[in-house]
Amino acid sequence: MKNINYIALLLLLLNSCEKAIDLKLPDNTPKYVIEAVLTNEAGGCRVAISQTKAFTGDNTFTGVSGATVTISSNGSAQTLTPTGTGIYQHSTFKGAPGNTYQLTVQVDGKTFTASSAMPQPVAFDSLYVKKGEGNNKDGSPLQYAFAGYNDPGSVKNFYRFVQYVNNKKEKTVFIADDEFTNGNSVNNRLSFSNDNDDPARNIKSGEQLTVEMLCLDPVVYQYWYSLKNGAGGDGNNAAPSNPDTNLSGGALGYFSAHFIQRKTILVL
Amino acid sequence: MKKRHLPAFLLLLAGQAALAQNKYTLSGTITNKSNGETLIGATIRSGATGTATNAYGFYSLTLTKGSHELNVSAVGQKPKTITIDLAADQKLDIALEDNTQELQTVIISAPSRGGRDLRGTQMGVEKLSIKEIKDIPVLLGERDVVKTLQLLPGIQSAGEGSGGFYVRGGAVDQNLLLLDEATVYNASHLLGFFSTFNSDAIKNVSLYKGDMPARYGGRLSSVMDVQMNDGNNQGTHVSGGVGLIAARLNVEGPIQKDKSSFLISARRTYADVFLKLSKDTDVNRSQLYFYDLNAKANYVLGSKDRIYLSGYFGKDVLAADKVNGINWGNTTGTLRWNHIFNNQLFSNTSLIYSNYNYTISLRQDVNDYTIYSRIRDWNLKEDMQWFPGDAHRVNFGFNGVYHSIKPGQITASGNAGISSQELPNRFSLDQAAYAGDNWKVSDRFSLSYGLRLSAFSILKEDSRKTYLNAEPRLGAAYQLDAQSALKAAYSRNAQNLHLISNSSSGSPVDKWVASTQLIRPELADQVSLGYYRDLSEHKYELTLETYYKKLQNQIDYRNGANIFTNQPIETQLLYGRGRAYGLELLLKKKTGRLTGWLSYTLSKTQRQIDGINQDDWYNARQDRTHDISLVGIYKLSERWVLSANFVYYTGDAVTFPAGKYQIDGSTYYNYTSRNASRMPAYHRLDLGATKQLKQTKKFSSELSFSLYNAYGNPNAYRIYFRDNKTDPNRTEAVRTTLFTFVPAISYNFKF
Repeated sequence: MKNINYIALLLLLLNSCEKAIDLKLPDNTPKYVIEAVLTNEAGGCRVAISQTKAFTGDNTFTGVSGATVTISSNGSAQTLTPTGTGIYQHSTFKGAPGNTYQLTVQVDGKTFTASSAMPQPVAFDSLYVKKGEGNNKDGSPLQYAFAGYNDPGSVKNFYRFVQYVNNKKEKTVFIADDEFTNGNSVNNRLSFSNDNDDPARNIKSGEQLTVEMLCLDPVVYQYWYSLKNGAGGDGNNAAPSNPDTNLSGGALGYFSAHFIQRKTILVL
Repeated sequence: MKKRHLPAFLLLLAGQAALAQNKYTLSGTITNKSNGETLIGATIRSGATGTATNAYGFYSLTLTKGSHELNVSAVGQKPKTITIDLAADQKLDIALEDNTQELQTVIISAPSRGGRDLRGTQMGVEKLSIKEIKDIPVLLGERDVVKTLQLLPGIQSAGEGSGGFYVRGGAVDQNLLLLDEATVYNASHLLGFFSTFNSDAIKNVSLYKGDMPARYGGRLSSVMDVQMNDGNNQGTHVSGGVGLIAARLNVEGPIQKDKSSFLISARRTYADVFLKLSKDTDVNRSQLYFYDLNAKANYVLGSKDRIYLSGYFGKDVLAADKVNGINWGNTTGTLRWNHIFNNQLFSNTSLIYSNYNYTISLRQDVNDYTIYSRIRDWNLKEDMQWFPGDAHRVNFGFNGVYHSIKPGQITASGNAGISSQELPNRFSLDQAAYAGDNWKVSDRFSLSYGLRLSAFSILKEDSRKTYLNAEPRLGAAYQLDAQSALKAAYSRNAQNLHLISNSSSGSPVDKWVASTQLIRPELADQVSLGYYRDLSEHKYELTLETYYKKLQNQIDYRNGANIFTNQPIETQLLYGRGRAYGLELLLKKKTGRLTGWLSYTLSKTQRQIDGINQDDWYNARQDRTHDISLVGIYKLSERWVLSANFVYYTGDAVTFPAGKYQIDGSTYYNYTSRNASRMPAYHRLDLGATKQLKQTKKFSSELSFSLYNAYGNPNAYRIYFRDNKTDPNRTEAVRTTLFTFVPAISYNFKF
């Protein structure tokens, strides 16, 4: 369920002022960050390993090389090969719905493991764009993408959507479960707020819009949910915390075996 | 169970009373002469023997036979001396005149009256009458009892933009807010910039921050008991005010002179009118307003009976446009019957209704949906006060509240695929019986002891359950000399309604949940010790209190909790314990041209919940090491009153990131210990001035000026972390400030 951001609205109405300030923050002790993905497509098997860094540093994160990364299922293991600094891939290994996969990452004497089950896919039926109320800051009409699908009533389903405008990825995490939509024909609006007024994020006519629909393992949905609400730094949550993860061994990040489908349209 | 013991207990006391030979009882009501309002806490004494009126202005005083010089006084009233010759039980109603003398109108508490009672055992209580808060500068010129109480020790603001407050380290939901006995579940207007208590309609406020009398229960930290005016029974009067963002109107008058009266008081903000003028479409389509209405009527049925009917209705609307928004509001109603059985036994029977609900409306394309939630109470309450002689004052009674909670109802239309659904309502019965006695053991030593038994039953669910709690209340006071006293108290409180919130500033959609099989009653044990001293012949008053509080069954969301689920909330919660301790100092100057006070609190508040912060103790958000308020009111001339207050407090304990990392190309933050960092310290100075305009017998008016945050300190409302807009390769901490230099002017009138 989405809630309206009344705090943001209130701040707008009160004409509150904002300023970047220096703060004393707790010291950073580097932690491993593992982002591991296995999909139903060849080339979709990818693991990125990096580390946390101090808040004051820049946003260039160098990968961690020298790790041994394997994904196994039903007794057969696939080893991923490094393709860049901290990037490990397998060009042909695909996952299949219903199977459970185990990830093992060994790096610098530490071992991190996780398990993820790829759910049965729900068909991505339609992608379209509709106008919202109002305009973007650049004057263009506010438009949103809608993803249409028929949610199966017999099982719980968890989704994530990734939106690209002219191949530029929207950073908002779009997730949905079926608690309020179970068994229904769903038209999910991919709502986002262009909080940094970057014109490239707006959906405008003539642009190419791509949306990926990911059917998620419930534990991975919980990862994205808690990441979005607890670790984004927005200051609204009274108790920010690291997200719930399926990785054991003390690393940040997740391992997701998901089913991916995508659609691309030209915005009229 | 309780009641079986009660008669024996009463007999014991009655026996003591009967021993008092040659004593007679004087009883009656003390009122304000000009408007007929009953006076709460007015004192009447003969030498060392004295008493104070109860919440309905009733007193009962047992004295020896013979002649007595009675001194009667109350805050803001001229003291009166009455000589009587007591030869039989006697009824004596007393009316006090307003104290309109120059220099006296701004006195916070006049000497030897209205000040802290050195003899009584009650400690940890702050009382304010509306007259006292009149000249203290406030945000946007709107007087507000809740904001003023926050200038007193141990009562801490939950921050700008929050209507809540913390009492001695307790959470916002651990305060019981009562308006004419009805529970107010959300006392915030405009997300907390104003409280639901319209000062035009209010007579008196008492805030108990420890050692609550046994007649109160249900919350761990405090009771804020707000009494509405009864309405002027002498003549019809209209008063009102126009400020920058709100207008108020109050009408009151007799229905039958001396016998009955009514009061209607209304407020509406009109800031939304200005929003429409904005060119920004995000702003001019927005709605932002509240209104509220207080109404009360009372009728004297005879010398022994009086009936009161009072109600409150308020609503807030905050919307981005016509269809996307949220509204919330409280409704309360109280029907009361005062009955005087005899000159020593006073009874009040109340039937009380309270309701809080909110609706969230959202539209996306052609899809509409609304989310509705509600908590509603019916409460039957009986309070008896018995004055069996000058040594005892006994309270006993019972009440039963039927709570029904609608956790969430979703109504949807359109093609979004959202199903309309409703979680089953939850019902519970909250019963309590209590008895307590204030016993004046000797001239110097007083004791109060009481017991509240509460039984909370979960109804109409598969798993019915009743939680029984015994809540003892104990207090002792020892008068060291004529100027100073020592007091000590212990109390236990149980709480069965819990507000589950994870937003940093509190929100109208925070959930009220009742105790269940898994959510056990919260318990608090508090011990406190206090020293009280009058200085310089009652010019100054010093109060020093310390407390230690142990809390059990505290509740918090687990990390990563899903707060928008309609599933049973228990799965998203964790349970633990808490502790809070502190030292509070209050130095008041009560007389002279300059009056005011200095308040200082040194405190610590922590929680320990398995599953949070590696199971270690951590600071609660409201852990405030230092909290200082300085309030000064200066009567410059007959026309002008100047005022100022200064506030400083340690920033909230919050969780700031220890580092950052990237997921899917976006920056996220790494958190280590819970609440290990601090918001910047908060401080501001407010200035105020009130000018009395031309005054006639029939009409008076005044102009009030105020400047909130006079030196424009950019206090942090919240701090968030983001990638820099122009250089996305850097991250920055951004502080949001709500108010710097807020000037206001308002005009108030009365005729």
